[in-house]
Amino acid sequence: MELLQAFAVSLQAVWLDSGFSAFTMGNGIMILVGLVLLYMAIVKEFEPLLLGPIAFGCILANFPRTGFLEEPGLMQAIHYGIANEIFPPLIFLGIGAMTDFGPLLARPVTLLLGAAAQIGVFVALVGAMLLGFNVQEAGAIGIIGGADGPTAIYLSIQMAPHLLGAIAVAAYSYMSLVPLIQPPIMKLLTTQKEREVAMEQLRPVTKFERVCFPIVAAIIISLLLPPIAALLGCLMLGNLFRESGVMDRLSDTAQNSLCNIVTIFLATGTGMTMNADDFLQPATLLIIGLGLLAFMSGTAGGVLFGKLMCRLSGWKINPLIGSAGVSAVPMAARVSQMVGMKAKPGNYLLMHAMGPNVAGVIGTAVAAGTMLAMLK
Amino acid sequence: MSHPVTTNPLIIMLINMTVVFLVLIALGVVINLIHYIDPTKPKAAPEEAAPAKPEPVSEPEPAAAAPVEEGISPEVVAVIAAAVASMGCAGTVKAIRPIERNNWKNSGRNAIQSRG
Repeated sequence: MELLQAFAVSLQAVWLDSGFSAFTMGNGIMILVGLVLLYMAIVKEFEPLLLGPIAFGCILANFPRTGFLEEPGLMQAIHYGIANEIFPPLIFLGIGAMTDFGPLLARPVTLLLGAAAQIGVFVALVGAMLLGFNVQEAGAIGIIGGADGPTAIYLSIQMAPHLLGAIAVAAYSYMSLVPLIQPPIMKLLTTQKEREVAMEQLRPVTKFERVCFPIVAAIIISLLLPPIAALLGCLMLGNLFRESGVMDRLSDTAQNSLCNIVTIFLATGTGMTMNADDFLQPATLLIIGLGLLAFMSGTAGGVLFGKLMCRLSGWKINPLIGSAGVSAVPMAARVSQMVGMKAKPGNYLLMHAMGPNVAGVIGTAVAAGTMLAMLK
Repeated sequence: MSHPVTTNPLIIMLINMTVVFLVLIALGVVINLIHYIDPTKPKAAPEEAAPAKPEPVSEPEPAAAAPVEEGISPEVVAVIAAAVASMGCAGTVKAIRPIERNNWKNSGRNAIQSRG
């Protein structure tokens, strides 16, 4: 009898220590959300390299009593890398090593398109404040419109860490939906004649220009906006690895192994911020809605500025490349190419759209730096 | 955490967009400056200023340009020639040159080929 009682007590203790006894409805819903995101990543192939680990991190975050964030271990180390802004600059190192600034250097006027498309960030900021978010939260939500995951995470951690999960999921989901969101807006705001504009071949860019640009840009932007020196510094360092011609091994590591490793940590850790208490709030739905508004208005801002530049340049700039100013490298540039090719087969806009596309990355980082300086 | 400078969303928007435009315009100026001081840029100006004198017609140098570029092994030449012959093309292979190593141009070629 005593043996049975001891067995029952032990069994009860195991049950009480298990995750099942503390499992809430909220955890169940979030695990379902994680499964839906996994479905989107694996079956629908929406940004699978990012959405996959984010979704799995979301599932992991909703197992009760794991002590992931309280006890030292891998999960706490990953969280440390996110909370202390270590991973986003490392991702930027890889992006810099992968990015060809050549189209931007050949036609620097396209920088303006990257600036114009940042209007989406601030339209969403205004919308968020009207909906009752405080100014720091609104800034973090607005940066979704920059369509730049690492910058969105970097800013959210510093201004509204409790919204990180929702902001990251909205940013990455919309980035994968760029081919669906942008074309209708681009067609609505341009005429057939504008979409058919053929752009002149870009001039060749010398190695001297390619090497000097990341060095000088890092110096100027870091001095001007110290809060984003880590982000922009790493972006330009990665690009220097690529363009110098003497650091191929470092360039290769930055754009492949290192970038993949950090992506695993960053995305899993971001997913792990999606616990039920923080994520299952009405604010999450508002953030997802505001993210869409940010993407749409950023696209519209870029295209409208593109129309202006088209007129001012004497029909030498196709307004469709303006939409690539929202970042989302290289997806947004591919969308410009796709819409341009539909309007006029044989009209290759991809290389021209890469100028505003990489300008958008810099523009989003500058917007984030300005908001950190003003609002933090 | 220090206090925000302002909480008026329209002022935040105006200031931020101005800063973004100014920084990117400054980068544009820097890019033009780098291009201006670039000591390695090809000098095309003299040709434009004075049209080149017509070259005296001379006999083409026999075999001046190698029909097969350096770095392409005889085995590769044989394989290419065999592939061309197997497609039923008459005639002879006169020159073999690798396509230009320009990623942008190659991307365009790939797009055209994949359409065909």
